[in-house]
Amino acid sequence: MNIFIPDSWLKDYLKTETPAKEIARYLSLCSQSVERMKKIGDDWVYEIEITTNRPDCFSVYGIARELNAILPRFNLKTKLKTLSNLKPQISGLKETLPLEVKISKSSLCPRFTALIFDEVIIKPSPKIIQERLEKSGIRAINNVVDISNYLMLELGSPMHTFDYDKIKGNKMILRESADGEKITTLDNQDRELPEGTIIIEDGEGRIIDLCGIMGGENSQVDEKTKKVLLFIQTYNPVKIRQTCQKMAFRTDAASRFEKGVDPEGVLIAMNRAISLFKENCQAKISSQLIDFYSQPQKEKSVKLNLDLVKKIIGVEIPKKQVITILESLGFKLQKESNQQQAYLIPHWRFNDINIPEDLIEEIARIYGYSNLTSNLPPTANVMTTNNTFKWESRIKQALKFWGFYEVINYSMVSLELLNKTDFDNEDCIKIANPLSEEWVYMRPSLIPSLMENAAKNKKEKIRIFEMANIYLNMGKNQLPEENLTLSILVSGETFVSLKGIFESLMEDLGIKDYELSSYPLEKTAYGKIFHPSRRAEINIKGKTVGFIGESKKDFNQKFCLEEKIFILDLDIAAIIEMANEEKKYKPISKYPPIIEDLSFVIPEKTYLKDIVDLIKKTSLIIQTVDLIDIYEDSRTFRLTYQNQEKTLTDKEVAEIRKKIINNLQEKLKVKLKGSKG
Amino acid sequence: MNPERLQNIKNQAISTILEAKSEKELEALRIEYLGRNGEMAKLIKSIPGLEPEVRKTMGSLINETKQIIEQAINAQKKNIQPQTGEQKDWFDFTVPGQKPPKGHLHLITTTIKEITEIFSGLGFKKVAYPEVEWDWYTFEGLNMPQNHPARDEWETFFVKDLIHPKYGSAVLTTHTSSGQLREMERAKKPPIRMLNIAKCYRRQIDASHAPMFYQFEGLVIDEGINITHLKGTLDYFVKQYFGPKRETRIRPFHFQFTEPSFEIDVTCIVCGGKGCNVCKEGWMELGGAGMVHPTVLKNGGIDPEKYTGFAFGWGVERLLMMKHKINDIRLLFNNELKFLEQF
Repeated sequence: MNIFIPDSWLKDYLKTETPAKEIARYLSLCSQSVERMKKIGDDWVYEIEITTNRPDCFSVYGIARELNAILPRFNLKTKLKTLSNLKPQISGLKETLPLEVKISKSSLCPRFTALIFDEVIIKPSPKIIQERLEKSGIRAINNVVDISNYLMLELGSPMHTFDYDKIKGNKMILRESADGEKITTLDNQDRELPEGTIIIEDGEGRIIDLCGIMGGENSQVDEKTKKVLLFIQTYNPVKIRQTCQKMAFRTDAASRFEKGVDPEGVLIAMNRAISLFKENCQAKISSQLIDFYSQPQKEKSVKLNLDLVKKIIGVEIPKKQVITILESLGFKLQKESNQQQAYLIPHWRFNDINIPEDLIEEIARIYGYSNLTSNLPPTANVMTTNNTFKWESRIKQALKFWGFYEVINYSMVSLELLNKTDFDNEDCIKIANPLSEEWVYMRPSLIPSLMENAAKNKKEKIRIFEMANIYLNMGKNQLPEENLTLSILVSGETFVSLKGIFESLMEDLGIKDYELSSYPLEKTAYGKIFHPSRRAEINIKGKTVGFIGESKKDFNQKFCLEEKIFILDLDIAAIIEMANEEKKYKPISKYPPIIEDLSFVIPEKTYLKDIVDLIKKTSLIIQTVDLIDIYEDSRTFRLTYQNQEKTLTDKEVAEIRKKIINNLQEKLKVKLKGSKG
Repeated sequence: MNPERLQNIKNQAISTILEAKSEKELEALRIEYLGRNGEMAKLIKSIPGLEPEVRKTMGSLINETKQIIEQAINAQKKNIQPQTGEQKDWFDFTVPGQKPPKGHLHLITTTIKEITEIFSGLGFKKVAYPEVEWDWYTFEGLNMPQNHPARDEWETFFVKDLIHPKYGSAVLTTHTSSGQLREMERAKKPPIRMLNIAKCYRRQIDASHAPMFYQFEGLVIDEGINITHLKGTLDYFVKQYFGPKRETRIRPFHFQFTEPSFEIDVTCIVCGGKGCNVCKEGWMELGGAGMVHPTVLKNGGIDPEKYTGFAFGWGVERLLMMKHKINDIRLLFNNELKFLEQF
């Protein structure tokens, strides 16, 4: 969360000649980060990002306290004004106004302080207060309300003011709400309270405060107010946070309470408030201080071993310097022997500093990260067996050089897209709190996204691919299976060209024993995506690893795509497991090959693969069989014969050729062109 | 004269034609096979001497062979560069080249490759862990108990109806830090030099946030690892990725799973560090880092007395957007070919 702090206000507490630009720089380097600076009149306003662990920095004074430790490290002089956290001495009260307070559980409100002022004159705040509030992003209202806002910014203690006369029966009960209770808050909103919200009711059972978040409208200070009840407390941070989350409502005060407000700081704020009420409202105190503090903070000390300081920071920081740094931040050296020290934690850091590493961070940041050397860590022998990334990258590279565009889509898809592509959303991993209808289900396939990409780009010829995880629901108590998948979509091309891509990929991956078989299922998503016959399932060693084919026309039409679309979908995780980079040298034959072309007439519905396999099986000296021509029912193959050990004679080749022709004729009814029978 | 002989002549012809290196050679082969006194002519002359019933078949076979040889010669001719008149040839070298098809890897892919290569030089090993992950690995085990305000930093997507009795709700991981405990469990014992680059998800969208984005996470655990090693590593990375002129600075920050924690800034790529409307007073925020919190080491089964470690987790898109001056992260996931083909 960011706060805005005017430089002039900061310098009320920190006496220093340091220019604003330098303050910003050193504060960023050693503490909270100054994100931006703005010049307003002759004042600078720092916009500072406060980390959640440092609620003590959520105020002008908190930042001044940090700078008081930091700036001297850069040889800049500072002096921090001290503030009293002693109980205010209230004397000479003639008569006191009564207030009965009941707190149902002390854990709800660790510290409760209140004080009543009388003869309050409501009017605008002094100009300087109005201006500072404005620079800090808060609108000035009147002198009473402004005091609470002003001191929250100045000291980090949120406070609230009630019109005392509006609290019926002079009675307050702080308790948890029951389900269904309601309050109208200061901003005129009716709010239903979740069960267990910290609230205050008055003597007539009216809810007058949504504690720690916003006051009730029924008890607010207005221009007629004479008596003011000032409230400075701390609340159970978890309770406040839960209420804010359930109500989806958060205020400046609530953000402070949920990070933890220092109960010891409450009296500092009370002392300041008393003087501002006197100064700005001419008010008189008319009650004793009410202060419930059932479990005051105990002393807390954290041990520090100087060897550990060096072990973590990597640089030896002299003992004396360690002590100086920590003491400048308010830590007190309690015990010391050799390398072992113990420090008392200042009240404003009580929740944040718990272990030696916390103290080491304090030392390191004030010592200055820029003063540390830079070293590379020693290399180490780390064992991993994961080859996926290498292949992943290699496949992507190959596709790039074959003319494909890589796309990256969101992993989440809409119900509409799943329905459109016939995937059953009931089987998909669903997001409980989606950001929009577009992104609700974790996609079970990459194909729907690729179809959208094709539709969006409206090009006749398109070559795209995506390699990403798909998410498969594994049921109760199980994370989904995340399976690395490659999907390729082409349009304006042919089945043969896509199959060539697949074959080349397999060749590069060193996988030879893949097979395509027909895919008969109709009711699966793939059955519905692909054309009923122009598709095949890809198998390696009996495992289905993908699909290739032409998508159905009516499927394409859902995406307004007119061109034929061919899709290859591969379970890349499974394929990579079978990839093999090993290549062994085979001696190159010294003897010339014999190359011949043979043309055959083939019967209908004969798979070319069967012909090629049969030819190859005939003899080991057949090196390659390539299809070189298709014309009507004739297929021409180019065969290469070669022997590793000798020159082939025409006679030897003639014998093999005869066998080939006979085999093809017998087994597949494939005839040599021009032959009889 | 029989079909076998014819086939042999054809084979011989094709292999010698494919071997031919000049037009002259081809011409000689043409004469040898197709010339007036060539092999084919001889065969045709022998037809009348054949049995009447084979004459016709042989005739057509010879014709077919003639055609094939002719085609082979013509095809080979195209493969042979003209050798005559080289000196006199006019040659137009301004003719546009015939380019191979040009594809494009996604900018995220190339950036991830770059990052991986830079860190692999320092011995980091790339890993992959679940994107849909249990609360324990994403938050609780990283020292962020339920209801801790630090969780607000992450706008988390929850998975519907999926809760593990021990590890809590399933979420879409909000950061690659969820790989830290997974890696400690995998390695069982240091040394660890992890580089986890993965998709992460957060419930937000604007010019600098997409609901899905990539992070890269480094984790080093060993004996004697300290802040100076973290500093050295990040310095090395920034100079490798952005160039030697880039300066870095470390600022204190807060993460529940590191102690001390920092943020790393790099001098603004636009103004060079003077301060402009793109940066924060001359600096651009790169990402978080810190020394692994002892509780996290314990949760990962590693003895915090013996070992220390550092971790950093940065956005991939943030880096590449800075480097390539892309002003809206959503462009990266729109998949417009006109965008993709620029890289």
